[in-house]
Amino acid sequence: MKNLKVDVTDLKKNFGDNHVLKGIDFKVATNEVVVLIGPSGSGKSTLLRCLNRLEEPTSGKVVIDGNNISDPKTNIDQARENIGMVFQHFNLFNNLTVGQNVELAPVELGKMSKEEAVVAAKKLLNTVGLDDKYDAMPQSLSGGQKQRVAIARALAMNPDIMLFDEPTSALDPEMVGDVLAVMKDLAKKGMTMVVVTHEMGFAKEVADRVVFMADGKVMEEGKPEDVFDNPQNERTKTFLEKVINV
Amino acid sequence: MKKIIALISCMFGLFVFMNYHEPQVNAAEKTYTIGTDVTFPPFVYANSNNKYVGIDMELIRSIAKKEGFKVDIKPIGFNAAVQSLSSGQIDGVIAGMTITDERRQKFDFSTPYYKSGIVMAVAPKGDVKSLKDLKGKKVAVKTGTAGATYANSIKDRYGFKTVTFDDSDNVYNDVKNGNSAACFDDSAVLNYGVKTGLGLKVVTKPTDIGSYGFAVEKGKNKELLSKFNSGLKKLKANGQYDKIIKKYTGESATASQKKANDKADSEGHTFIGLIKQNKSAILSGIFETIKLTVVSIICATVFGVLIGLLGVLPSKFARGASTTIIYIFRGLPLLVLALFIYNGVPSLTGSKVPAFIAGIITLTLNEGAYTAAFVKGGIQAVDPGQMEAARSLGLPFGRSMRKIILPQGIKIMIPSFINQFIITLKDTSILSIIGILELTQTGKIIIARNLEGFKIWTIIALIYLIIITVLTLLSKWVERRIND
Repeated sequence: MKNLKVDVTDLKKNFGDNHVLKGIDFKVATNEVVVLIGPSGSGKSTLLRCLNRLEEPTSGKVVIDGNNISDPKTNIDQARENIGMVFQHFNLFNNLTVGQNVELAPVELGKMSKEEAVVAAKKLLNTVGLDDKYDAMPQSLSGGQKQRVAIARALAMNPDIMLFDEPTSALDPEMVGDVLAVMKDLAKKGMTMVVVTHEMGFAKEVADRVVFMADGKVMEEGKPEDVFDNPQNERTKTFLEKVINV
Repeated sequence: MKKIIALISCMFGLFVFMNYHEPQVNAAEKTYTIGTDVTFPPFVYANSNNKYVGIDMELIRSIAKKEGFKVDIKPIGFNAAVQSLSSGQIDGVIAGMTITDERRQKFDFSTPYYKSGIVMAVAPKGDVKSLKDLKGKKVAVKTGTAGATYANSIKDRYGFKTVTFDDSDNVYNDVKNGNSAACFDDSAVLNYGVKTGLGLKVVTKPTDIGSYGFAVEKGKNKELLSKFNSGLKKLKANGQYDKIIKKYTGESATASQKKANDKADSEGHTFIGLIKQNKSAILSGIFETIKLTVVSIICATVFGVLIGLLGVLPSKFARGASTTIIYIFRGLPLLVLALFIYNGVPSLTGSKVPAFIAGIITLTLNEGAYTAAFVKGGIQAVDPGQMEAARSLGLPFGRSMRKIILPQGIKIMIPSFINQFIITLKDTSILSIIGILELTQTGKIIIARNLEGFKIWTIIALIYLIIITVLTLLSKWVERRIND
């Protein structure tokens, strides 16, 4: 693989006796969009959270941009500045306005002056279609709006990879489209993305590669058309039948 | 937020300043701290101006004058005085203390200054006329007194039970309202009480149990003891001693005191009358209570927030330390903690802790532990997703705490803070046990003199409610300011 961005080798993660990841090898190239699919409990979210060490790996190696994330000596705060993350439940800072949510990290971490951050925040909110919400409090927004603010917040640090952890699962159906549109736009601009989702349409349309996980292992991966139209693994077949027939 | 912190630190500084007393630099006039009883007339009692008078008070002051030293009188109650003396918190005790062999093991006594015996007093209308009538009945005594020792030594022989109280007036009241059949106390005290309208009668002859002496800690303060002895000798030689005794026990003295009591009775039956009579005492009690409350709220909040924050750090050691501190100081009864710090620690280390400081430390540790528990809980109640989002952006732990978690946690904690402030105010009353003259102790002392238990406690209770109301309104105002 050329321009290797993410390189995960033999990653294992246990929660007590529960072996959630049982030896994952996983690679992502620069500018690639990878979608992780699989039944719940398969370890997709845990894999994603190991990429920025929100979960401490039990063993194995996670390297991003040549930076060994799984090494305790690595300055994880610095590494995270380049890894944006979007959560299922948005996690907007409830004590700050929308604008402050976006501006906080770049200003606190000395990436921008306050004035620069305000300009950048307004621009980012404009690209996600929420420039009129700059002074609003997160509590007053709908789920779809919150998630678009969360994307803008992650982008404000100017990351070169974005992790999405089921970004549309907590949304009302009519909100899903707006959020996916923002993500498609981002993919078009060449952002490296790892997306955990149940939106098969999005996977087909946007993903460069689809990775199917079950029982803490990667079962199958490939181009979306190959995985969706001609799955090789039995588990993949059963899963896709269930998801697509719904 | 910064303004509030600045304001609080200013107030704190002010209180520290107010409580700082210039040390006595006059080497020729050494000051001794003398503990005494709250009420033990005619030896020790507060007159209507709340000045401490009586035979013991006049003796110690006259001797001090003759021998060229100064005394700082602490009316902290007999029991507390004896304990403070053995832990070295005070230099001497003069409180109508009978010299006994048991006490000699812990204290050195002066030459006796008064001969006394124990008598039994009963309610005038009761059917108890001698010790034999006590079979199966209860007898009230005061903790740690010779009267209590005497009662306990004969209780099996006469078949009665003893009930102990900390203050003489509670002893007398218990007999008057019929809970106890009789009480035992020093003859001089009971005879004086009967003559000045106590409402009891003495039915036995004094048993010859010994004499009163001035006490210092055993093996220490030899200098003070010899000064007392030589001063007493001089007072006896020049007739001043007899004058003092006569002043407090002679017919004219008791008659005028009875008249004063009767007059106070007729004036003081109303609430207004009682408040007027005791205005200055009540005011200084209120001031002391507020001072204790404000200083300990500030200290307990600072301490509690620090310990609470320690409890949410990633380090296991820090969390363990926080949990342990909360466990210990939330688990200890406030009363035990106060006595431990005021009496226990000094007897181990040998250095004095002023009562006010001991009180502040007590409240800081106890209220601080409760504060720490809800600070920790408040932070933990903030959605963990908030911390994850902050960390995922590259913000370090401390900054995520400060910018995101604490501002949300504090809102959750505010009602608990207000609650804790009110509890702190109420808990200052427990510090009366170490003799701090706050509102509750002031009430005890006033009642010791005028025996108006119901009315004085009503007044004290109302004052507490008023202060609590003001404190609550103030807290709500701050809460609104923070929430806006």
